[in-house]
Amino acid sequence: MAPPMIDPALFDQLKTKIEEDTSVRKELDQIIDELNQHVAYTQGVLSRIHSTPRSKYPVLLGQVEEGIKKEIETVGKLSEFASKYPYYKYNYKWTRMIQDAISTVLLCAWLGGMGSESKPGEVCHLLTLEDIGELFRVPINLKDRDAFHITVEEYLLGLINIIDELSRLAMNSVTLGDNELAVQISSFIKDLHAGFQVLNLKNDILRKRVDSIKYAVKKVEDVVYDLSLRNLIPAKAASE
Amino acid sequence: MSGFKRDRQGNAKKFDGPKPAPKPKSIVRNAYTPLFEHLRDELDEHHDRRDRIGKASRDITALSKKIIFSLQRARKIDDDLPQEIQADIDSRLAEIAKLLASIAPEVQNINRLRYARSLVCLEELVEALTFAHYVKTQTLIGHEELSLIVEDLARQGAASEDVAMPDAGEDVVQKPTEAADLPTVSITDDDYLYGVFDLTGEMMRFATTASALTGKMASGDAAALDDDAPRTIVEDMHDLGSFFEMLPLRAGNRVAWDKKLEVMRQSVHKVEKLGYDRVVRGSERPAGWVPDLSSADQSEGLE
Repeated sequence: MAPPMIDPALFDQLKTKIEEDTSVRKELDQIIDELNQHVAYTQGVLSRIHSTPRSKYPVLLGQVEEGIKKEIETVGKLSEFASKYPYYKYNYKWTRMIQDAISTVLLCAWLGGMGSESKPGEVCHLLTLEDIGELFRVPINLKDRDAFHITVEEYLLGLINIIDELSRLAMNSVTLGDNELAVQISSFIKDLHAGFQVLNLKNDILRKRVDSIKYAVKKVEDVVYDLSLRNLIPAKAASE
Repeated sequence: MSGFKRDRQGNAKKFDGPKPAPKPKSIVRNAYTPLFEHLRDELDEHHDRRDRIGKASRDITALSKKIIFSLQRARKIDDDLPQEIQADIDSRLAEIAKLLASIAPEVQNINRLRYARSLVCLEELVEALTFAHYVKTQTLIGHEELSLIVEDLARQGAASEDVAMPDAGEDVVQKPTEAADLPTVSITDDDYLYGVFDLTGEMMRFATTASALTGKMASGDAAALDDDAPRTIVEDMHDLGSFFEMLPLRAGNRVAWDKKLEVMRQSVHKVEKLGYDRVVRGSERPAGWVPDLSSADQSEGLE
């Protein structure tokens, strides 16, 4: 007898693999959904910076940090589960959520949150990729082994997210009478814009997002221009 | 002195020849510049590697397609290939082996899936190899078996390159032990499944040409198997069709999976139509009657 066209064992083997894959995805979806909830809540709390004067930041940021704590817990869960499987097989499922989580941490820290007893938080402080990795207690930019980590792209995309948010805050801080903050934001965004120019970008999502930074730069420059025209720039900020 | 370029008014133009290279943008350094420079190096490494893989991948795809074309010139299944076709395939495979070896170190561990999208060539290679296996044995090669073949190819490619180097004499002695440690390229489930999907298309083309040119449905060799009725390609297509229909839906890229499934169904339908035609009208032709398509066959063979 001729051998059959398809070995029945081959079918079973492939079927099992596909079923395994499906159940992994289901479990991942659950964890990512949980992360989504925490990130959305934290973003919601953070959105109140636009209507909160700086003197009340500590209370607000305290609330934000509560949300971030939950984010960190869930990312830990995700890291533990996802590390059992090839990272780049499923990474596309959570990369957006991780970017948003990074954004909340970066923004909170820049506004003076995320301080510890040894290192009090300060305004205008940018966390590096290494800081982010430490905070979330996950590796960064892994190359030599296959496990969960935060990538360079995720950090950069998260950073671009907060530029948008800060350019909005520049306007709103003026409305709230905090002209100094607007000037600080302006210089930060311009520095970051110069920083992103250093990168050699390919035609991908990062390039698209980086291209959008110039609109934020324009927005904050307009605000600073309006202020300087009316001599409203505080002396301390002007000398910076 | 060569002449000046002049503008409409006849005045010598200020700049002659190509514009001087733009001055490197003087980057205003600030507190964040070092951070970005560090990240730039990381991104560059990634982009460069992706480019190298992409280039090799394009070449492998082209070579695989050529193998498939060669195989389409065969007329029989379950048989060794005609010598010139086999020689053609072997030389292409040797080239593929070298290309695979050149990118193998770049796609180890975590990088295998990171650059999966740049490695679409593997799908094409799976298609070529499964097709070759089918034409020779009339069976579908398994995933693991095929993956071993590709891994071996990559190792062979690396070995043949070493031999080419004149001062590699000392290494040759150690080669047998080293060969197993050489980086290779593995075949993922997706590469395999999507490659086999494409195989159905090739089988449909093969069935069509073979039945048009030989007047018979391509099938296994009856004499060799002492079977009354050898299996035909129609049955094989049905087997393969049911195989995919019975597999659970792939959760990953549902759209791509559905599309492939639909194309496969059409191929199955085309081949069963051929089978029907052969049964109903095939007997009307005298045995051994070759249609005037034979001229087309020759021109195809000459290519």
